[in-house]
Amino acid sequence: MKRWLGPILVAVLCAAGMHMAALHFAPTVIMGQAMSTLAQRGVALHRFTNPERVTPQTQQVVRSSPDLYYALCRYDLSNPGMQLLVEMGDWPDYQSLSFFAAQTDNFATLRSTGEAAAVRLLPPGSPAGEGAIVSPSAKGIILIRRLAPSAERYAAAAAAGKADRCRLVWKDRIAAPAQE
Amino acid sequence: MRRFLAYLLAVVIGGAIGLGSALWMAGLLPGANTMAFGNVDVRGWRSDFAIGSEAADPYTRARVARYGLLALAKSEAVYFTRATDEDGAPLREACTYRLSGGAMPAGWWSVTLYDAASMLPANSDGALSIDASRAGAGAWEAVIAAQRPEGADHWISSRNAATFDLTLRLYMPEPAVIETPTTALVPPRIERLTCGDAP
Repeated sequence: MKRWLGPILVAVLCAAGMHMAALHFAPTVIMGQAMSTLAQRGVALHRFTNPERVTPQTQQVVRSSPDLYYALCRYDLSNPGMQLLVEMGDWPDYQSLSFFAAQTDNFATLRSTGEAAAVRLLPPGSPAGEGAIVSPSAKGIILIRRLAPSAERYAAAAAAGKADRCRLVWKDRIAAPAQE
Repeated sequence: MRRFLAYLLAVVIGGAIGLGSALWMAGLLPGANTMAFGNVDVRGWRSDFAIGSEAADPYTRARVARYGLLALAKSEAVYFTRATDEDGAPLREACTYRLSGGAMPAGWWSVTLYDAASMLPANSDGALSIDASRAGAGAWEAVIAAQRPEGADHWISSRNAATFDLTLRLYMPEPAVIETPTTALVPPRIERLTCGDAP
């Protein structure tokens, strides 16, 4: 019996380690897969992309709402000194600008019903400043939601979305949208 | 050599148990019960108010990544899900249900039907949800059925959904919903009307 103590102890340690590792990495892996899928389906890097109105035929993300207008912007702030300028156009009904880190956390949301909004998104470790949000991860997703439960309201929301901006800024210069 | 094989087997078995238990406890294994989560239950509607927050435990994070990616934190929106009717039976495409409720303690609300894969059911009926703007103020009713019912003001189509669940979204929830959800929220009722032979 004594000779099995070592292998049993190793099995327990491996089980605990693998359990914790799987839980730790699962959200990042799933989020990474989602970001890759969004990229393959045309959601741009550093630019808002407005997918079609959510229907069974166009849905891209689990549990999307058919009553909301969505616009997505993938970002990558891996290089130091970069930041994003994010602007959300005016909309007379509910709208929000939400930020999701690579670990899936919704680390910030700006509600701006009836008016436009703008904010800077800074790389991890940046000092916080007025009008700026610090991202906890280099990569993530920014999402605009607008209440648009009918085809007419969706068309109006899409028109309002022409004022949305998600621009990469490098040392006071505004970079061109990524070509991908 | 035998000793080496024993340790190698221990690593493989331990790793498999650890991986399997993590996926099972986070509800990530195929066929997992999507309702086996959450720390809030209001008359059968379940939610986890840690969704989207940095305080979410690793099990919640993993589950949300799979079933509710890009969900908002509770200060902006809360999400309740229910997969059974008032009698506790699973919601099925073969049955017809009456969904009823009243005003909700939120700036805007909706109820949307999703299939077992957390996707909108593959139909082109254009009847996927009901929301505050369509329901109007006060009491409201909708019929959940695979075919458009006669005489109903509101219809949510379950065609091609097989077994399904409903998600109640409360945007801009009143603070009481977060603090005392069981008293602040009267969620919609789901009454089974008839059942056929389909799955």
